[in-house]
Amino acid sequence: MRRLRGTLRVILTVAEMTWRMNVMDSFILFGLLIQPLIIATLALWILRERGGDYAIFVVVGSGMTGLWSSLLFVSGNSITEERWHSTLECLVGAPVDLGTIVFGKNLSSVLQSLASMVVAYLFAALLFGYALRINHPVAFLVSLLLTVLSFIAFGMVIAPIFVINPDVQRWQNALEFPVYILGGFLFPIALLPFWSNPLSYVLAPYWAARALHASSSGSGDLSEMLLCWSMMILVSIASLVLSRLLMVRVLHKARTDATLNMS
Amino acid sequence: MNAIEVNHLRRVYRTTIGVLRRSVKEVVAVDDLSFEVRPGELFGMLGPNGAGKTTTVKMLTTLLLPTSGSATVLGHDVARHPEAIRQRIGFIFGGERGLYWRLSANDNLRYFASLYHVEPEVARKRIPYLLELVGLKGREKERVEGYSRGMKQRLHIARTLLHDPELLFLDEPTIGLDPVGARELRGVVRDLQSQRKTILLTTHYMFEADALCERVAVINHGRIVALDTPEGLKKDVSDLSVIELEVFGIPAGVLEQLRGMPRVDAVTVEDLEQRQMLLVHSPRGAEAVPDILATLGGLRVGKVVVREPTLEDAYVRLVGGEGSA
Repeated sequence: MRRLRGTLRVILTVAEMTWRMNVMDSFILFGLLIQPLIIATLALWILRERGGDYAIFVVVGSGMTGLWSSLLFVSGNSITEERWHSTLECLVGAPVDLGTIVFGKNLSSVLQSLASMVVAYLFAALLFGYALRINHPVAFLVSLLLTVLSFIAFGMVIAPIFVINPDVQRWQNALEFPVYILGGFLFPIALLPFWSNPLSYVLAPYWAARALHASSSGSGDLSEMLLCWSMMILVSIASLVLSRLLMVRVLHKARTDATLNMS
Repeated sequence: MNAIEVNHLRRVYRTTIGVLRRSVKEVVAVDDLSFEVRPGELFGMLGPNGAGKTTTVKMLTTLLLPTSGSATVLGHDVARHPEAIRQRIGFIFGGERGLYWRLSANDNLRYFASLYHVEPEVARKRIPYLLELVGLKGREKERVEGYSRGMKQRLHIARTLLHDPELLFLDEPTIGLDPVGARELRGVVRDLQSQRKTILLTTHYMFEADALCERVAVINHGRIVALDTPEGLKKDVSDLSVIELEVFGIPAGVLEQLRGMPRVDAVTVEDLEQRQMLLVHSPRGAEAVPDILATLGGLRVGKVVVREPTLEDAYVRLVGGEGSA
């Protein structure tokens, strides 16, 4: 019990400090606030003839772009950034699991990135004058909670992969848009070639977007919601197991190759 | 039980060089190192840059795996049981990095207190005490990015004391500090010593090791070349005298001629802006001065002093004049 309380305290303190640092980072603020607005503006303008029903799809979808960008650039860099700042040694040398620290950092980033959705909502309501309505608010809230958890879990896989293989991190920018498309953020994946669908199914962002779209627009029945939630939980558990294995590998490699510090 | 036991520790760094014809280059940083540190002892490690001091500290703080050999810290193996060690030790590495510059000192300490499982009510009392101890009280709400190098170093000390560790690793804690900052930091180390904390200190500064350390290991090329009390190390050179000559420009080849003189043990040069300080170690003492001046020829010479050897002179003899610290 004491150990659990200690772990929770670490997660919350790490999340609080990460939040304090992120709000002073203009790159992060751009990804959270400006980029989703640009995407929302373009989509709302292009699809203005489709009416209010589609507007909530755009609001949720552009919010998801903010979530994914934050996950990719902030959570993805959560270990490498510590290395750049020479703080990784202090973290690894502390009596706390590195995964717990990364979890806290990701929690902060993902919660902050929900601001993207709020901003897109206000923007569509105030500037475009759409009367936006969430049709199944309870299902939407459950979906949002699971989205946060599944994004944290997904971020915990990306962060060690970027450390183990810096070549993958060099493709970080190129990874942003494919997930917008494969995740079905702004249009359904039914429009994509059939062969690409399995790629979507293994991505937590796809199930998160599907659940949020279905609950906000009211297009999904209970079985659809249960499917999405189950898949989010399943993919998250798989992500956490994979993350655990990758973290062990990262730490062993860093202690063997002396790569905890940049110097 | 010793606080630290090191047995035949060895660490090799492997780097890959070349693009098309890749080859692996191996650098031996620590080579067959063995020593022990007793509980409550302030143990020093002296050595030139690249001697293997930081690599040793990183292995003992569980941040680096040894290539071979073994080391135990507080009875636990550094490679196999790092978790058992981490809660009980504290460490700082020289330099100002390793803190969150966008956070205040207070937030940095709160952050690390949670990582070291310090209960919040304990942290609330301990953080102000430590800020006072390292002289940062009144500045704790400012962001660290605005701190001087010395303030960051002192904040590192506070960070490493948050969980009241039994054993401290201080890797060149005074490097880059101004004389006042370095003196203050040495005062903090003395305070810790008086609390009977076990401390392993690496330093470049001989007077620091002389003033603080109970025993000193001189390390060079990854190996211990001497291990004794500062007084014991100085005894090793008690047969010597040190002749200090202030000179203005030394022509090439003169140093080699000096080193070739009979009964000259070591010759080093320290650059002092427009002049140099030439140090000649010789058991002949003042008798050697005329011969040295003759070897220097018509070179302009300022003051000449013959003195007793210090720990630095012992160090120079041991590491063969490398890295005139």
